[in-house]
Amino acid sequence: MSESLVQLLASEGINLPTEVVERGIEAYMLHMDVGSVRIRTPSEEKRIAGVFRGNGPRGSERSLRVGFDRYLLELAASSRVRVIRSLVTRVGWHEDRPEIEHGGGRRASYDLVALAAGVNSQLLQNGCEAAPAYTFPGTLTSFISEFHLGQAAIQASLGDAMHIFLLDLPRLEFAALIPKGDYVTLCVLGHDVDETVVDALLAAPEVRRCFPGGKVPQMACHCFPRLNVRPPAQPYADRLVWIGDCGVARLYKDGIGSAYRMAKAAARTVAFHGVSAKDFEAHYLPTCRTMNWDNTLARLVFMSTTLIQKLRPLRRGVLRMTSTEQANREKFDHMSSVLWDVFTGSAPYRDVLVRSCHPGFIASLTWNLVAGNAGALAGKRYGDGP
Amino acid sequence: MTEGALGKTYSSGELIVRQGDEGNCMYVVQAGELEVVREEHDGNVRVALMNAGDIFGEMSIFERELRSATVRALGEARVLSVDKKTFLRRIQEDPPLAFNLVKIMSHRIRRLTEDLATLKAKTSPPAPRANGQERRSGRDRRHGGGRRSGVDRRASAAGRGRNA
Amino acid sequence: MSTLKTNAGADGCADSLVHPTQGNTPAPCTLGCAGGNDVRQWLGIVAQRTKLGLSDAQAYARAWGVIADTNPFPATLGRICPHPCETSCNREAKDGAVAINAMERFLGDWAIERHLPLRRLEGASGGASIGVVGAGPAGLSFAYQLARRGHRVAVYEQREHAGGMLHYGIPAFRLPKEILQAEIARIVALGVDLKLNVAVGRDVSVDELREQHDLLFLGIGAGNAARLGVPGEDGPGVVGGIEFLNAVNRGEGFETPSEVVVIGGGNTAIDAARAARRRGASVTLLYRRTREEMPAIASEVDEALAEGVSIEFLVAPTAIRRDAIGPNAVMVQRMTLGEPDESGRRRPVPVPGAPFAVPARLVIAAVSQTVDWGGLEPLESAVGKAQTENGAPDHHLWSGGDMLGLGIAGMAIAQGRHAAETVHAMLTGTEPPRAQRRAAAARDVAADFYPASPRAPLIERPVAERIAQPDLEVHETLSEQAFLQEADRCFSCGQCHGCQYCFMYCNGGGFVRIGQAEPGAYFALALERCLGCGKCIELCPTGYLSAAEAPN
Repeated sequence: MSESLVQLLASEGINLPTEVVERGIEAYMLHMDVGSVRIRTPSEEKRIAGVFRGNGPRGSERSLRVGFDRYLLELAASSRVRVIRSLVTRVGWHEDRPEIEHGGGRRASYDLVALAAGVNSQLLQNGCEAAPAYTFPGTLTSFISEFHLGQAAIQASLGDAMHIFLLDLPRLEFAALIPKGDYVTLCVLGHDVDETVVDALLAAPEVRRCFPGGKVPQMACHCFPRLNVRPPAQPYADRLVWIGDCGVARLYKDGIGSAYRMAKAAARTVAFHGVSAKDFEAHYLPTCRTMNWDNTLARLVFMSTTLIQKLRPLRRGVLRMTSTEQANREKFDHMSSVLWDVFTGSAPYRDVLVRSCHPGFIASLTWNLVAGNAGALAGKRYGDGP
Repeated sequence: MTEGALGKTYSSGELIVRQGDEGNCMYVVQAGELEVVREEHDGNVRVALMNAGDIFGEMSIFERELRSATVRALGEARVLSVDKKTFLRRIQEDPPLAFNLVKIMSHRIRRLTEDLATLKAKTSPPAPRANGQERRSGRDRRHGGGRRSGVDRRASAAGRGRNA
Repeated sequence: MSTLKTNAGADGCADSLVHPTQGNTPAPCTLGCAGGNDVRQWLGIVAQRTKLGLSDAQAYARAWGVIADTNPFPATLGRICPHPCETSCNREAKDGAVAINAMERFLGDWAIERHLPLRRLEGASGGASIGVVGAGPAGLSFAYQLARRGHRVAVYEQREHAGGMLHYGIPAFRLPKEILQAEIARIVALGVDLKLNVAVGRDVSVDELREQHDLLFLGIGAGNAARLGVPGEDGPGVVGGIEFLNAVNRGEGFETPSEVVVIGGGNTAIDAARAARRRGASVTLLYRRTREEMPAIASEVDEALAEGVSIEFLVAPTAIRRDAIGPNAVMVQRMTLGEPDESGRRRPVPVPGAPFAVPARLVIAAVSQTVDWGGLEPLESAVGKAQTENGAPDHHLWSGGDMLGLGIAGMAIAQGRHAAETVHAMLTGTEPPRAQRRAAAARDVAADFYPASPRAPLIERPVAERIAQPDLEVHETLSEQAFLQEADRCFSCGQCHGCQYCFMYCNGGGFVRIGQAEPGAYFALALERCLGCGKCIELCPTGYLSAAEAPN
C-alpha cells in the first residue's frame, strides 16, 4: 500500500492496525547490474504498508493475523454494510433494475450495482449482460509468488525495505521483492510474463543476493494475475458503475490507492447526484479521465525506465546521481524523489514527469552521466557496487 | 513496536514538533502517548495529551503560521506524518476528504469556547447560571486540567472516557 | 512449464507448478450405504436442480430414478433403514449429518403419490425364465432387476402378502402396509408374475420349479425364531419375536396379557416391545449387554422408552417360571461386561448372585432367527455351498437376504441386485459389472465453505396418540421445504457441484463450461491453458480437484 494511500486513510481516521500491516516499509533498494542504492523515505518513517490480499499465501491461512481484505470487509460491516459471502456469477437485468445471480442460482436485484470484480475473475471477461457498452479492460499478465523465509531471515536479508530490480532482461519491465511478515512477495511486471521471464529473473545474481545464502528458496505459492493496462469502454451505465481494476485503474502502481479514489468518486456521484448513466458521466467520468491521462503520461515515465534498463551508461548516471543524493541525508530531491514516486506510486505520474523535466534535474543528470561513466572507466564504484 | 507498524518511532521525551518551527505536514498518532506543551514566558504548560488515532499539527496544512506548540513523546510512541502537499492535492480531487479534519477542528473550537468560558468565570464574579461551569472547572482542576485546551485534540469518545 | 521447474529447481524450488485433475472420489455416504445406493448423485440432482436447469418436479423424479436404480423401495427404506450412510456423512462434525434417510422417504412418498412407474432399461434384451422363491426384499430386488432387463420372472410367495419381513416383521407404526404394497405393485407392474399363497413343497415341487425356469433364486429369509435354551421355554405363553410380529401384522385379534417381557436387543425385540405396548401391556425388555452394544436403531430405542417400555440392561434369562395359567416370571441373572468377543462387543459374563424374577405373563424371545427350509430341503445343501460366491456351483441356483445371514433390508436388496446383475451378464454373455473398488471416501472437504444450517429434525407424533392408535406412524415425512433445505446441506464430497470458483478465478481460462451440466460435470479441464498456480485446487470445496501427479 502506497505511502499516499496510508496517509490518506490516516487523515480520514482509518489507521491500519498492526495486525493488518505485515510490515512497515521505510526505504527501497534499487538494484541494477551496475550497483544498488538504498532510497530512504523522505521523512525516514515507515510509510508503506506491506499487506496481504485475500487469505494470504497458500498455507498461511492459519497464521495470517488479519488480511487486508478481511479488515476492509469488517470495516464495511461495522458501518452497517450487509456482507453476503457468496460468489457472484452473473450480472443481468430484471425489469428496470440490475440483478445479480450468486451462490448457484440465487438472484437479487438492486437500485445500483457497483462492480469491483477485478480483472482476474471470469465474471466480466466477456463483457456484462446488463451493459453492452462496457468492455473488459486491456490486461497484461504479471507474476506474483511468495517465499516463506521467516521474520529473522527476512530482517537480515531484506530489512524494512522493498527491493526493486531494474534489470536488462527480455520482456521484463521491473520486479520487486516486498517483505511481509514471514513471507517475501515477488512481483514481476513485464510484457506477457511467463516462466521464462521468471526463471531468468530468479537466475540473476542481483536477485539471488537478496535471499539468504544467495539461494532462491521454494515458492509457497505463485500465480499469474492480470493487470489492468487499458481502460474499459464506458465504466458506467444506468444503475451500474465499475470501480477498481475492472474499471479505470492506475497503471502498474498503487492499484489499491487508485481503487479507493475511483470508488470514492463513484460513491460521491451516487450520494450527491444519482445513479443514472448521465450522473456518472457528469461526475464520475472526469475522475476517470484524469486517471487515464495520468496513465498516458505514465507510459512516458516507463519508457524512460526502460531506457535506463537498456542503456548501461544511463544506469551508471542514475546510480551515481541517486547515491550522491542519498549520501546527503538532508536532501531528498531530483532522482531520489522521482525514483521513489515511480516505484512506490506515491504521486501522480504527471508530477514525476514535471519533476524530471526540471532544469536542475536535467543538469544534475547530465553531470552524473559524464561523471558516472568517467568514474566507471576509471574503476570507481557508486552505491553498493555489484 | 512490531514489524507491522507504520510511521516513525520516537523515544520518550523526543520532540515530534517544536513550537515556532515551520510545518509542512500534520501527524496521526499510531501508538503511545504524546504531550502537547505550550512554551510561555513563565514556563511550559501542558495543554493536552494525545493517544492513538489523534491528529495534530493540522493547522499548518491550512495556514502558513509556525507551529503553535511543542509535541513530545511520553514513553515510546509512534507517529505517522501526512504531507501537506499530498493532502491538499487530494482535497482538491475529493473535497469530502477535508470533512474529518473540519469535524476535528470544529470539536476543538467547541472545547476552546468552553475553556474560555471557564477562564472568564474564574476571573469575573460568577453569573447566576455559571454553577455548572464552576463544577466542571473544579473537576478539571482535580485532574490537573491538562486535557482541555485546543491544540489539535481529536474528538474521541475514548479520550473523553479517560478524562472523566 | 518446464523452465520454471528446471531453472528454479537448481535453487530448490522445484515443483512449484501444480496442475489440477478432476477425480470423483466416492462420497462417504455412498460408500456407507449397504444397498450400494449412489446417495451423492441423487442428493446432488436435488441440490443442484437450478444449475442443471430442472424444475423441482423434474429433479425429484430424476433423483428418485437414481435411487430406484439400485433400490426399488425408497419409501420403505426411507422409513426403516438404520442409515449407515448418515453415520459416515462429513457434515456430521459441522452441524449434523444430512438427513439422507428422511430425504429418501420424501422422494419415495412423492413418487408413490404421483404413481411414478419403474421403467425397463433401454435395450432390455433378456428372455430367460426366472423363478424366485420368497417375495421378501432380496427376492423382489432380484425379480425387479431381471424384469427391467427383459427377463420373465415368477415370484412364489407362500403367504398372503408379498414383502416378507418388511410386511410381516415390521409393525405398521414404522412402515404402513400401503406404502410397502405400493412399492411392490410397481415391481409387479414391470411384468413380474407374483404368485401369492403358493408354497414350494406344498403347491409346487422343487423339481417342477427347476423344470419351468432357467434358474432359481431363493430369498426365503430366516423366519424361525431362535430358542432361548432355558428351562420352561416350551409351552404356551412363550413366543418368538418374529412370530409375535407376524401375528400383529396379520391383524389377528389375540389377547395380549398385561405383563409382557421381551428378550433381545435388536430391532425385532424393540418392534415387538413397542407393538406389545400398543396392545395395552406393560412391557419390560431384557438385554444382556448395555445400551451401547444394543444393535437396535438408537432412535427406536428412545422412542420405545418414551412410549413406556422399560428396559433392563445386563440381565440374561436363566429360566421361565410357570404356574397353572402359564408363565408368571422370567428368572434372570445379573450380568457384567467382560473381554470383547469375536464381534468386537464385550462379552456379558454372569455376576455372582442368585437369579431374580421379572414378572411376565407373555414372554417374547427375540434373540435371533434361523432359516425355515420347509419344502425346500432338497436345495439346502446347494445353497450352503453357494454362500461363498453368491451363486450356486451349477449357476442355476442363487440366493440372497436373511437366509445368508441376518442383515438389514438394504443389504438384502443389494444381494438381490448383485445376483441379478451377475445372472443377467451370464445369460447374455456380457461382462458382469465389476464390484466397486472400495476406494477411500472423500474426506478433504472444506466444511467452512458451506453456511451453517442445522439438520432437519424428525417430526415425531405425540406418544399418547401413538399408544391410542397402534398403527399410527411414529414419524411424519419431511415437508417439501425441509427436504429442499436438507438437500442444500449436502457437501457433495468429492464431486463438483458447480460452485464455479475454479472457473471464476482461473487466470488462464483453464476451465471450460460443459453445455449439458450434470452433477460432477460442470467444467472440462483445458490443461493447455493452465498456468499451474493451483488456486483452483485450493478453492475447490469438495475435494473434486486435486493436484495431478508430476508427469515424469
